[in-house]
Amino acid sequence: MSELNVKVGLIGKFDMLKFKNMSKAREKAIQAAPAREISGVFPINENAKALHPDYLELVIDDIIDRGTAQAKTFVLRRPDGKPLPYFRAGQYISLKLPMDGSFVTRSYSLCCSPKEAPGGEYDITVRANPGGFVADRLLSEKKIGDTVIASGPQGFFYYEDLRDEKKVIGLAGGSGITPFLSMAYALRDGTEDFELTLLYGSRDEASILFKDQLDAIAASCPKFKVVHVLSEEEKEGYESGFITAELIQKYAPAGEKYSVFLCGPEAMYKFLKPEIAKLGLPERLFRRKLIDVTKTPWDCEGYPQELRGRSFQLTVRQGAQECVIPASADEPVLVAVERAGIKAPSRCRAGECGWCRSRLLEGTVFIPQENEMRRWADVHYGYIHPCCSFPTSDLLLEIPGEFF
Amino acid sequence: MPKYDVVVVGAGNAGMSAALQCQLAGKKTLLIEQHNLPGGAATSFVRGRFEIEPSLHELCDYGPDHNPGDTRRILEGYGVKLDWIACKDCFRSISTYRDGAPMDVTMPAGIDAFIDKMEEYVPGSREKMTELFDLFQEVLDGIAYITASKGNPDSKVLQTKYPNMLRTGAYSTQKVFDALKLPNRCQDIMQTYWSYLGVDMEHLAFIHYAAMVHKYISRGAYIPAHTSHQLSTAMVERFRELGGELWFNCRAEEFLFNGDKLCGVRTNLGDVECDYALANINPDIIYGKMVPQELIPEREKKLSAARNRIMGGRMFTAYFCCDATPEELGIEDYSIFMAGSTDSVKEYRNMMEGMDTNDYSIFLCYNVENPDFSPPGTCVCSFTTLCSPKDWNELKQEDYFKYKTGIAKKMLAQLKEKTGIDLSGHIEEMEVASPWTFARYLGVPEGAVYGYEARDWDGMMARMQMIGMDYPIKGLRPIGAAGPRSDGYSATITCGQLVAGNALRDLKAWSEGGNK
Repeated sequence: MSELNVKVGLIGKFDMLKFKNMSKAREKAIQAAPAREISGVFPINENAKALHPDYLELVIDDIIDRGTAQAKTFVLRRPDGKPLPYFRAGQYISLKLPMDGSFVTRSYSLCCSPKEAPGGEYDITVRANPGGFVADRLLSEKKIGDTVIASGPQGFFYYEDLRDEKKVIGLAGGSGITPFLSMAYALRDGTEDFELTLLYGSRDEASILFKDQLDAIAASCPKFKVVHVLSEEEKEGYESGFITAELIQKYAPAGEKYSVFLCGPEAMYKFLKPEIAKLGLPERLFRRKLIDVTKTPWDCEGYPQELRGRSFQLTVRQGAQECVIPASADEPVLVAVERAGIKAPSRCRAGECGWCRSRLLEGTVFIPQENEMRRWADVHYGYIHPCCSFPTSDLLLEIPGEFF
Repeated sequence: MPKYDVVVVGAGNAGMSAALQCQLAGKKTLLIEQHNLPGGAATSFVRGRFEIEPSLHELCDYGPDHNPGDTRRILEGYGVKLDWIACKDCFRSISTYRDGAPMDVTMPAGIDAFIDKMEEYVPGSREKMTELFDLFQEVLDGIAYITASKGNPDSKVLQTKYPNMLRTGAYSTQKVFDALKLPNRCQDIMQTYWSYLGVDMEHLAFIHYAAMVHKYISRGAYIPAHTSHQLSTAMVERFRELGGELWFNCRAEEFLFNGDKLCGVRTNLGDVECDYALANINPDIIYGKMVPQELIPEREKKLSAARNRIMGGRMFTAYFCCDATPEELGIEDYSIFMAGSTDSVKEYRNMMEGMDTNDYSIFLCYNVENPDFSPPGTCVCSFTTLCSPKDWNELKQEDYFKYKTGIAKKMLAQLKEKTGIDLSGHIEEMEVASPWTFARYLGVPEGAVYGYEARDWDGMMARMQMIGMDYPIKGLRPIGAAGPRSDGYSATITCGQLVAGNALRDLKAWSEGGNK
């Protein structure tokens, strides 16, 4: 200890005694209080839980057939009709669906106005998807009155005025229209304030999803404009062909900054990548909704082609349980886990939300570059997102628990 | 039913530390965490191409190899290894001196450098500042002595070796500054750190202030190279390497008892049997929701009522990831404290009156100390303030997103006004965390990450002195920021070790006493 040069003078009487009596003073303060029951309930925590529930139990209140657009809108409510968590236009919910003894998750953008949530309504729209295991079964099997388990609203595909330019060019393809429809409603309702010009690609006029709704909003709300782009039909009043850099520039504000938002199928992302690059936008002005991990991992750079079609042994640990299941190199690890009937956490199925984060103790996986969104330490210490990791060897995986 | 010696509930800083301590002591330990990743506040999140640090500004009391602090000794003792970055400066503080003059000071780490710099800003302050640091040192040594004496210090030793600690320890920091006749402008600069403890200078015990400030200045502050998620991952990986078990997405629902002694924990993954549980949970939640009411002693009800649910430090933090470098944005400092005045009592009152009167914020730019924090050509910044529950209790969900973004806008405008730094037009990703967010992720009452206000009668030293009296339920001890060491990363890491030590002593005594 260094020599002390300071001599603090007396502050009050009996300073040293005061130090010694700190605990006595504390005990006195405690004993002076009433022996009140401890409630453990705090409004802020209740608010947080209401906005971000572990899971929602929802009932299908109505099913609206979208005719030639080959889709159905499911109107979802709580069994007791109470308000649902508010959301930002563009966010999605993740459904947890029991299928043949297993649970699979699928995320669907909320396509109603955020204003409907306090009234207890969420709308999602599911489009027929050839070969799509879950979508087709949802469309053919789900009836009014059925219940589904869903996550709360989540995702980062929404407008934020501190970040995005006031003028936004939206690029939608097929069922990728749903988050934009919600944004259009929000603009109409005044809960969002920006200018959205939507370029919406469809095959032909008959397959345009929500055409009437989009046109009606555009007619009444000066902040929203929709341009239909038909790839397989030429018709007066429509753009034809694909969405390209030229088309974007045609509708983009001249000489002004603008943000580009993209949501569509995987093929559209691939096609638009070089087109977007031509625009020369800084990264911050291009936002896209992440889509489900690829079904054709062998098309991704770095995939070990020789393993295509191979099956591996996957040992899964969850809490005190352990089981061994098969896993194909062609499918994400999560699919193997779900198929085995294990309740595994997952939400976005795109590598973004991290909900499925699990510890890989043994073995190796392939992760497409598009879906590599892990934290630094997770990469370093061997944690993976099973929703977008393809097995390339036998694996030993520790997965988290579930709450529903 | 799986059986463990100790179950640690919650893998926050205190929980991870406690789990490591128990596992190292040879106890079969299970650590459960309600999220799918460890750390509690010591975590990170990803937006676009950025990984964001949510909470840690500066780790206190880590220190360099040749001058290790307690936090470093504890982590190294556990065998937790990761790469750290030493911060060059302590802080920049922009405010108004009490004499009305504008204040804008940047204080370096290291006692000599700090005192030299103070002499530049406040000529003639050297002697008093040196006295203050000597007093800090005595206080630290005194605390070390008391800790080593396991709460039974020899009063002769205290009186002869640590008389100034005894004289000042029970007083507020303000009173001690006045007694030392520290020049006013020095006081105005030295008060900067108060918000790290969330108690103003009139109510913050000098002993608590002295311990923290001395550690920050003498050893400098440290940050992990890859966010505090790196720290927490390193801690839990070490725990598992030692044979500990860790279950994620495992939430404790209630504690199970055999008579008046804890015998297990009920979770969503099933019941777990154990002899002891260390709960990294606020005691109001444990006692209010997770323990049979008939087991709660009268005194603990009084303790809760005496605290009157006055929580410390409800956080509000806005994060901005920019597509420009700190140089391009004109950012030179890692942390800038911006307060309307240097009167901490007034500042704290303004905070507690609501967001409208709260003009206090701490601005951080992580890339200043850690150039590789984000991709080349970018940087990550944040603003933090403390807030009252009032604005957040009644807020409607429909208004929530706009309300919190509005506060973030105000903070950006304030930064521009006070420093000329303008982030607008460069924000690529952003997120705003409110008390709701912290309540959601940490489960802490009101999003108050600091636990109970460590002020007046409920200060850190008083809690330490009564560690054996508080929360006497057999086999269940709370740990964390609401605990005896109060808030902060280093405090909670220390708390986890300290309370785990008490639990281990209990276990030993019970086994020697015939497993009572």
